[in-house]
Amino acid sequence: MSFDISLIGSSLPRILQGLGLTLNLLAVSTLLGLMLAVLILLMRLSGRSWLVWPAKAYIYFFRGTPLLVQLFIIYYGLPQFGFVRQSVLWPLLREPYWCSVIALSLNTAAYVSEILRGGVMGVDKGLTEAGKALGLTRFQRATRITAPLAVRLALPAYSNEIVSMLKSTALASTVTLMEMTGVARTIVANTFAPYEIFIAATIIYLVLVWIIQTAFSMAETYANRHVRKG
Amino acid sequence: MSLLSGWWDDFFFGLLMVLRIFAVALVLAVALGLLGASAKLSGSRVLRTVAQGYTVVFRGTPELLVLLLFYFGMALTLTWIARLFDPSVQFVDLPPFWAGSIAIGLIVGAYMTETFRGAFLGVDRGQIEAARALSLKPHQVFWYVRIPQMWRLALPNFGNHMLSIMKDTALISIIGLEEILFVAKMANSVLHRPFTLYVIVAIIYLAMTTVITWAVGQLEVRANRHVRGAR
Repeated sequence: MSFDISLIGSSLPRILQGLGLTLNLLAVSTLLGLMLAVLILLMRLSGRSWLVWPAKAYIYFFRGTPLLVQLFIIYYGLPQFGFVRQSVLWPLLREPYWCSVIALSLNTAAYVSEILRGGVMGVDKGLTEAGKALGLTRFQRATRITAPLAVRLALPAYSNEIVSMLKSTALASTVTLMEMTGVARTIVANTFAPYEIFIAATIIYLVLVWIIQTAFSMAETYANRHVRKG
Repeated sequence: MSLLSGWWDDFFFGLLMVLRIFAVALVLAVALGLLGASAKLSGSRVLRTVAQGYTVVFRGTPELLVLLLFYFGMALTLTWIARLFDPSVQFVDLPPFWAGSIAIGLIVGAYMTETFRGAFLGVDRGQIEAARALSLKPHQVFWYVRIPQMWRLALPNFGNHMLSIMKDTALISIIGLEEILFVAKMANSVLHRPFTLYVIVAIIYLAMTTVITWAVGQLEVRANRHVRGAR
């Protein structure tokens, strides 16, 4: 058995060709997922049962099933129905890229809305009561008091979710997308050198995780600047 | 449901396969988590560095990549070893069942390490000092004082890690293990009902994650029964 260290180095540039798509999937689905998560959070906090229950069911389903199965339902499953193939969304739903984005966004939205809910629950009740006493409207209290404090509390868990999203983008390779894992799998199929190639891919993922964690710890320092110990 | 006639047994055996992987991976993850947490809290710098490297690598790499690396890497290594004894051997691989369970165990073990480390740190120092003062041996302190008290603190995260193991089992279909997602793929090649079949897989997973969530809830009630009155 040969282990060729130089193959790790020479395969890095080829795997990096998939970096663009990996980051693209990560950025687009994180953003869409965050918007959906806020919507679900508002439904969950609305106190109206016809809004709360759909939100709860959504979170229950997407947190309780594997992302790979969700991706397969969307990519392989939806075309089972004629009306999907005739709909205006078909140009999107037949593309593995958009199916991956949809699956990743729907999945992360469930987790992020729970993370944000944790943040909202962590905001001291006294602060919103003080806002009420000062005559702030419900909207003002939500945007000026609850939201900024909740975001600060939710940041550490949110950074873990972004890391987990980065790792989830690798599943897009199962629906033929050539992001980093997809590229690495293709190279392995040609060279049959799994150790070198997959280790090279692992190194790139670890660097990305490190960048995400560093960025978030800077963001946390910034968000907590007023509570820093003098 | 008449759609599934002739496929019930395949789904049933697929489900059994998922449960077996879950059990093996869970045992491995707990063992690795306890070892990793003990290493991280030990006085030895070498052990701490090794455990730190373990958690950084396995928490930062996509699960799919770990699985592929482990399965294809092991196939390469085992074939090489087999050829030393018998040059006519073409290909030997670690059965997907073991490759998958060990890979998932390794990944979730890294998360367990962090959870257990935090929980061990949460155990009151006085308890350990008292146990030492009663001249309990180190392994007795570990099993009779540390473990029962850290368990309660680790439970909520432990439950999440169990859900991760359960959901990660779906990945093993990619290396050809006949679990429920694989069965659904096979059934689809005959029935051409992908949506229905994958939704059935989702419902089976949902049922299992629901059971795990419920069981962890019961365990939490039990683990916290002595503090209920005090609050």
